[in-house]
Amino acid sequence: MAVTRERLTRALAPKVVAVIGDKQASGYNWLRSMKDFDGPVYSVQVDENEIPGIEELGIPNYKSLTDIPDQVDFAVCAVPRQVAPFIVQGCVEANVGGVTLFTSGFAETGEDIGVELQDKIYEIAAPSGLALIGPNCMGLHVPGLGVRFNRDQPAGVQGNIGFVSQSGTHGMNFSLTGAAHGLYCSTLVSFGNGIILEAADYLEYMADDPQTEVIGMYIEGARDGRRLFKTLREVAAKKPVIIWKGGQTEGGGRAIRSHTASLASDQAIWEAMIKQVGAVAVHNLDEMIDVVKATLLTKRTQGNRLGLIAMTGGQSVVLTDAFEKAGWKVPTLSEESYAQLSEFFNIIGGSYRNPLDAAGTIGQDPKHLDTIFDILNADENIDAVGMELSATFMARRWQDKPEEFDRLIGSLKKFMAESDKPFLAALHPSHVEGAALTARQRLQEEGIATFPSFERAANALRKASALAAV
Amino acid sequence: MTDVIAAARAEQRTLLSEVEAKQVLAEAGVNVTETRLAISVDEAAAHAAELGYPVALKVVSDTITHKTDVGGVELGVADEESLRAACQRIHERVTAAAPDAQAQGVSVQPMAEAGVEVILGITQDQQFGPVLMFGLGGVFVEVLKDVAFRIVPLEPRDAAEMVREIQGLPILEGVRGQPAANLEAIESMLLQLSEFAEAHPEIAELDLNPVFARPDGAVAVDARILLTSES
Repeated sequence: MAVTRERLTRALAPKVVAVIGDKQASGYNWLRSMKDFDGPVYSVQVDENEIPGIEELGIPNYKSLTDIPDQVDFAVCAVPRQVAPFIVQGCVEANVGGVTLFTSGFAETGEDIGVELQDKIYEIAAPSGLALIGPNCMGLHVPGLGVRFNRDQPAGVQGNIGFVSQSGTHGMNFSLTGAAHGLYCSTLVSFGNGIILEAADYLEYMADDPQTEVIGMYIEGARDGRRLFKTLREVAAKKPVIIWKGGQTEGGGRAIRSHTASLASDQAIWEAMIKQVGAVAVHNLDEMIDVVKATLLTKRTQGNRLGLIAMTGGQSVVLTDAFEKAGWKVPTLSEESYAQLSEFFNIIGGSYRNPLDAAGTIGQDPKHLDTIFDILNADENIDAVGMELSATFMARRWQDKPEEFDRLIGSLKKFMAESDKPFLAALHPSHVEGAALTARQRLQEEGIATFPSFERAANALRKASALAAV
Repeated sequence: MTDVIAAARAEQRTLLSEVEAKQVLAEAGVNVTETRLAISVDEAAAHAAELGYPVALKVVSDTITHKTDVGGVELGVADEESLRAACQRIHERVTAAAPDAQAQGVSVQPMAEAGVEVILGITQDQQFGPVLMFGLGGVFVEVLKDVAFRIVPLEPRDAAEMVREIQGLPILEGVRGQPAANLEAIESMLLQLSEFAEAHPEIAELDLNPVFARPDGAVAVDARILLTSES
């Protein structure tokens, strides 16, 4: 019996949660991670030695799932592998919506006993329609409902990113590092061995989930590649999808007799598949965060011509290099723009050809930045605008005179509100890293797409612009 | 076309000859040079007279994978006298290079008007099933691996993107006064192959190499099909 959407929704957006088998040795991580859950949390533990510690946390403990007086929507199971089939049986009997099997030691070990236990779990779960997540995974994180698998993950904040991860670590790192960049998940699932529900199931759910605006995925391989391909094609037509493919699948080892087969490496096929479905490929966590950020915070352009604002001549040059290397053009501005710029731009130690080396001009009068933005907004040669925010020069000053930083942010937000052209900022870490970090966090809070290097900014905007879904 | 595949299966062969592969492809609507099997020099001469000179001659053998490597190809054969001499040369070279090879004869086909050499192919991916490849042929595919892939089934947009994705696109668009190749013809051929791959899961690998991409269309002048080992 297939897992129904109703059953999957109960599991992924639960009202009642149970944790099975948490113990002192793990610091009651699962129970503690659920402390901000937006609803009742129950514990199931039969070990008399563990029960007092659980009750000290203020969490009611039961000896069996069926003893819990509520209908459990989502359960986390952290028991030894030999016990796991019995727990899954209990979930079926108690009509639990879904269960995460944190328990590992199954088919991934390659051992016969692991494969047998996994098969047994499959045989129990599959006919019942139980939404089984895993095994060998971290499971579910829904910050809006306070569902976490790690105590440092955010809770009480409604995010807008769906994240599907074959790996628990990469899922967790995305939720933690992403939050430090102001990016929060609507639903994050680490699905491990994926014996009942696989990536395509979660993608379909997220495509329909109104909270989810963009979808990220970390994947190493697909059990049913045809289904993943078809699902991604449908999902990526609705929402932007960003895919990080890890590892290389080994070839079949058969004798290859054609050029086509010899060139069809795992990497080539995955890259082609990602392009074909209208998603974009990224290659590490930083790039995932950058592209998700650009997708959420910048507008889209079909064009590739950039207007750049830098603080010094040297940075103008390398800023241009970084963007041109990523496929952007940094063209000359229109005659009209030059005519207007010539009226006020300080060309002693500055330049307005494009990039606009503008520190002196803006320093003279901060209103000049608004004028520059107006000119770039009107300029027909320009599709998008990027700006260097120099922590090296400015972070200490922003600290001492926060009103100057406020005014800068006001100018950026005014341009973002008035223009259809994408805007993004680069703020390098500097010798004043603490101050730079404070500035970056403030920019994030204001919804300004800020990147720690020119290269990352250029790449993020290019990949976000390539996404099929707008 | 199932006849050709069924016959190969009956003989427990997985490699189709060029003549068989082209027959299968022609039935699927793919533009290939008409190619006939000759088991004697006289038969080769008769085919060439019907198809029209100049012709290309290629050794036909189940056991020879790369015909050029064993000297099994003669191109631009102008008339019957040349054809008889060329058949003799192929026989001598192949016998010297591959004494154990079993040759069924030679294939005879008219010399196609040259164009930009491209390669189109099908392979089976473990996870995604049938996959199509496109790239520039000859040295480009072997050394630079300048190719694009897509998963079957292709939509027209996929075919258009594949053709334009390769680094060598300017060569197709015409450099140094060369006329531009007809990209739409290549796209059509890719879409035909996509349908062909969907209809025939028993195709393990296919190379059309080279296909001549010309201003007036595209034609496959060599074809290789490998069937899956399980029937």
